[in-house]
Amino acid sequence: MTTQPLGRTIRTVKPIPQARNNFERTMWLFMRYSGLALTLLALTHFGYQHIIVGTQNITTAQTVNNWGEAGKSINLGQFAWRAYYMAILGLAMLHGMNGVRQIAWDYIGNNKTAYTVFMGIVVLLSVIVTILGTLALIFGATAK
Amino acid sequence: MEGLMTIVKEGWRYKGSGNVMWMAHRISGLGIMFFLILHVFGMSMSFFNPALHEIMLETYKTPLFAVGELGLAACLVFHSINGTRIALLELRPEWWLQQKKATQYSLVATVVIGVPMILIMAMASINHFVK
Repeated sequence: MTTQPLGRTIRTVKPIPQARNNFERTMWLFMRYSGLALTLLALTHFGYQHIIVGTQNITTAQTVNNWGEAGKSINLGQFAWRAYYMAILGLAMLHGMNGVRQIAWDYIGNNKTAYTVFMGIVVLLSVIVTILGTLALIFGATAK
Repeated sequence: MEGLMTIVKEGWRYKGSGNVMWMAHRISGLGIMFFLILHVFGMSMSFFNPALHEIMLETYKTPLFAVGELGLAACLVFHSINGTRIALLELRPEWWLQQKKATQYSLVATVVIGVPMILIMAMASINHFVK
């Protein structure tokens, strides 16, 4: 790449090399597609709970009602709620973890220790919480 | 840290409006991720510890979280719409010629969808707390 006095840039065109890092390619595509899906899923979830139901009206009874009680059989509506939340949970956590990874890499990537420790905490916290959430969605809510 | 300060100080001038959108996308994303972890933990307690689940739901009904809720709505709406613009344009490179217009449209859509949402939630909170 050479820069001419006028400030114009001339790039030598080479054939695009085969992608060496398939993980980054997969995550790049995942961020776009999951983002499009989450726009629909997360905005409908937020709009339903905060506008239609209202934050002040959200109760544990609503959770039990929507998810179905732990240990009891569930109806189709409750199955749909769980599948909907499961989709948001998985997509949002992966999307969020990868987003944090890119930001951390940009700002503290040159400090390997800080980057590893920070990402270790973020991934550990996210994975634990995702496992807890998934188990709760599989088993259902405990009635008081 | 030094790199972070440079970004904060110079980020607004560097590359103009596109860079501001890029930074706003990162900041709103971090905000959503922070609440997401808290939220999923709270909801999972509906199975593991219903008493703690109730405490977390009641915490969301305090004035502090009522304000945070408005910030979350702003982050979520902006991140969703701006993210849709990014995804559509990057998956369809022939649309890059409309880059500037797409940015303006996504900002307008953020305001048109976000402001009424925030107003409705703010009114509900005001009606609840100021009686």
